[in-house]
Amino acid sequence: MAVYNEFLYDTIGNEHPRKNLYLLEVARLQEQIRNSAKSDKTEFVRELRELKRNRKSHPYNVSLSAFKKDEKTFRKNLSESKKAYSREIKGRFSPKITRLKILGFLSGQMEPFYKPFTGLSYDALMHYEEALIIQRQIDGVTEFISEHETAMADAKAARKTIGGEDNKKARAGLFDFKKIQRQKYKADIASLRKKIKEGIISKKAFEAEKAQLKKKQAYAILVKSYELPGKGNRELIKSLHYQVTKGFRREITVLNANIADLRRKTPVEITRVVPVNAFLSFFLPGFGQVLNGQYIKAIFFFLISIFTYVIAIPYSLGYANFQGDGIAGLISLAADGSKLDKSLIFMIEGTLSVYLIIFAVVLVYISFRDVFKVDRDRIRGVRPRNWFETKTSLFEEGFPYMVSFPAMFVIVFIVLVPITTTMLLSFTGMDPQNQSKFPWVGLENYKLIALGQGIAGKAFWYILGWSVVWTLVATTLAIALGFFLAVFTNNERIKGKLFFRTIYLLPWAVPSFITIMFFSIMFSPNGAMTEIITKLLNADAAIVVKYNPMLSRITLIFIQGWLGSSYIFLLSTGVLQSIPEDLYEAAQIDGATAWQKLKRITLPMVLFQTAPLLIGQYTFNFNNFSVIYLFNGGGPFNPTKYGNLAGSTDLLISYIFKLTTDNQYQSIGAAITMVISLGLMVFAFFGFRNSKAFKKSDTE
Amino acid sequence: MKKQKHKNALYLSDRQPLAFAGKIGVLMMYIILASWAAAIIWPLYQMIVSAFNGRQGSYLILNREFEFSWEHFEYLFEETLYLTWVKNTIFIAVTTAIVILLIVSFTGYAYSRYRFKGRRASLMAILLIQTIPTFAGIAAYYAMHTIISNIIPAFSRQMMLVLIYAGGGIASNTFILKGYIDSISTELDDAGRMDGCSSMKVYRLIIMPIARPMLAVIGLWSFIGPFMDYLLPRVLLTSPQTYTLAAGLFTLINDIRNTNQPAFAAGGLLTAVPIVIMFILLQNQLVSGLAKGSVKG
Repeated sequence: MAVYNEFLYDTIGNEHPRKNLYLLEVARLQEQIRNSAKSDKTEFVRELRELKRNRKSHPYNVSLSAFKKDEKTFRKNLSESKKAYSREIKGRFSPKITRLKILGFLSGQMEPFYKPFTGLSYDALMHYEEALIIQRQIDGVTEFISEHETAMADAKAARKTIGGEDNKKARAGLFDFKKIQRQKYKADIASLRKKIKEGIISKKAFEAEKAQLKKKQAYAILVKSYELPGKGNRELIKSLHYQVTKGFRREITVLNANIADLRRKTPVEITRVVPVNAFLSFFLPGFGQVLNGQYIKAIFFFLISIFTYVIAIPYSLGYANFQGDGIAGLISLAADGSKLDKSLIFMIEGTLSVYLIIFAVVLVYISFRDVFKVDRDRIRGVRPRNWFETKTSLFEEGFPYMVSFPAMFVIVFIVLVPITTTMLLSFTGMDPQNQSKFPWVGLENYKLIALGQGIAGKAFWYILGWSVVWTLVATTLAIALGFFLAVFTNNERIKGKLFFRTIYLLPWAVPSFITIMFFSIMFSPNGAMTEIITKLLNADAAIVVKYNPMLSRITLIFIQGWLGSSYIFLLSTGVLQSIPEDLYEAAQIDGATAWQKLKRITLPMVLFQTAPLLIGQYTFNFNNFSVIYLFNGGGPFNPTKYGNLAGSTDLLISYIFKLTTDNQYQSIGAAITMVISLGLMVFAFFGFRNSKAFKKSDTE
Repeated sequence: MKKQKHKNALYLSDRQPLAFAGKIGVLMMYIILASWAAAIIWPLYQMIVSAFNGRQGSYLILNREFEFSWEHFEYLFEETLYLTWVKNTIFIAVTTAIVILLIVSFTGYAYSRYRFKGRRASLMAILLIQTIPTFAGIAAYYAMHTIISNIIPAFSRQMMLVLIYAGGGIASNTFILKGYIDSISTELDDAGRMDGCSSMKVYRLIIMPIARPMLAVIGLWSFIGPFMDYLLPRVLLTSPQTYTLAAGLFTLINDIRNTNQPAFAAGGLLTAVPIVIMFILLQNQLVSGLAKGSVKG
């Protein structure tokens, strides 16, 4: 049973009495039923039933329907008289004034019509007061605009007469004025010079004064130049144009804001108590907004409908696909497609379909929520927003969503779709024999790498082991090197700080691919380093680092130390310089040794402030493809241990790279990618959880 | 003589006089610092020398006699596609920087100033997404490019590369910029709003001018990233005409058919010089920008 409240509540939450007397009676009876003792209840219930049966003949309802009928004819007449009026004033005023006049005309018609009904319905009250607001303001606006428009027309007319003698005269006047100014300036400067000579003012003060005089002179000339008829006229027109366009917009906004204010304070009264609009329009976003009377808003929500029914659903059903079959393609993977069909493309289009559907569902739900909320509030008495209000709130509350949309779009389609595809790929059997078409194989790939089996999976554990060792040793080495170099360089007794700092910056500044490639050249069979090492060790045959797995690894670690220390050096230097000197002085007084100061003050300070960046260095090195691949392509190769695909210095990332691009074991590559991505995520999660950044965003 | 002695006895420093052990320590520090400096300079010096040494053949050999010549640079410009690579690299790097700046300046502002639904969840998602390495999508990029370029024929592999770099850079840079904008007082926003600024105007007239130094740093890093990357160009770009510098220069030492190590040294030198100058001039901004972003979050 529909339960009514005795009062209505507007947007702000103010209480208003009902104007619908019939509903008021119903509400009162319902209230009495709720509060009365059981014996009296039957009496009230009967009364209520009686009231409801005679709903149509209730005096209020009779007058309300009469009003509605009147209103209908009035509206019809109004639109006709509006047409007539606009024909009448057509061509007599500027477009802006015409718009204002029509607005004024409409409100002038509405005010007397709605006035007698203000006690009957809140809608009538609102229309009446809206008309009043418009009438109150419209004259002022019209006057303002027409005044400025006339002035502009005058200015434009005046422009035609400008020129000839007048202009010449003015120009000559300006020229004279300039001359006078210049003379005055010179005189001023001369008097200033004199002051210097007498020693009254300093040289600096003279310069400042001179600059000021110059500015003053230029400004005076500028002001005078507006007296030129041409220039003055141009400026005047510009300013008037600004006044007219901006002023008009501003006045209309003020008017709309006043009306919006009125709407917020005037409730709405409807007989319905269930927000059915939302459910009615669930499958057709936009329709519900129409039912709620928000027409312009509805246009935008219809776009959601179009997206859902024209793009998302057909695409995921397989229409308009490039090659795939929508979501179905995800399951079949082109198994019984034509020869040219590629499983991978079916997979990507399937993934795309899934994301499109998710988008569509979210958007449809948003529309549903919107309609539901407006409808529910309307039952309480809140008037639905008009387009002006919606637009305003959209630009404020909707702002973060609107501006993050491009970011979300790029992230979904360029980051998430490929990652999802890789994830799916790891459960398929895409290998050199099955490039174009491949089936789902479940966890087979993960099993292969876990057990270290197969051509591609054989080397996994070795490579993982080396990757971990590499990450820990190379990064720690770089950090230690950078830190100690920074400490030494910043020692107060060391001279030539700038020199050392500039040199230590170089490994970071020179693009690393260049230095790595050059190192690769130097360590090649007849390269410089090979020669030096051979000489140093006094060996008979040339010692080629690149041919020896252990030497290669050690060299790589040193190269990374060379490359990575630079950045840590810069970071630590920054922190070191910000450590207050008093700490060290206090330690000195307490008799601390240099080592104790380093251990108890410097090290904790630097580590604490750079911790997230240091963690970043570890993950960076875990994925440091360039140094491994560009130095020796992951080699030297050792087929008995690693198989033919990987070398003994390959990291997981270069291994994945080789699997996916050179050897076409995409599925196993994808499985390994998933494993390390998960690992890195967990690592990063624990890293971030303890960092300030995370805690801060957590508490907000 | 007496005077001299007197002068020696006068010790005019805040610091304690060094004991013998301390003197040894300082000396050791100098030795370490100097040898590390030498270790840095030596390979770079070798590169510069070999780039200008006319006596070097296509393989670099130590202690060759030196004879100054522009020969390798001439080879670089005439026989290789060096200039095309420079053009490609600059195109990719600049476009990436612009796309990232455009997107991130908005998201950084939105995440810093607005408390909207889904903010925390998406921040978390951003944090996790940025840990997934960009190469995770390698296998899909190819096929995706095939699909897109079939719909939009003008969509080149380089543009795909730009999009991938941009997609990879949004998350972390949003975070960095958010941290920076957090440190700008909201009273400025309030003042602007009182004067009738809309969100867009606050962004344009207040936040962006103040955040400009950070935007410059983000732009610079977004420019440097694609510049230095080798992996993705190697995967996505297939013809030498479309290579970036990293991929192109590698062919000079890796590909037996056109190996020319001195020319590589020359190309590396040419590429490194502007970057090194930029880094030396802007080192404080580059480092502090990164540090700020990560600490304040």
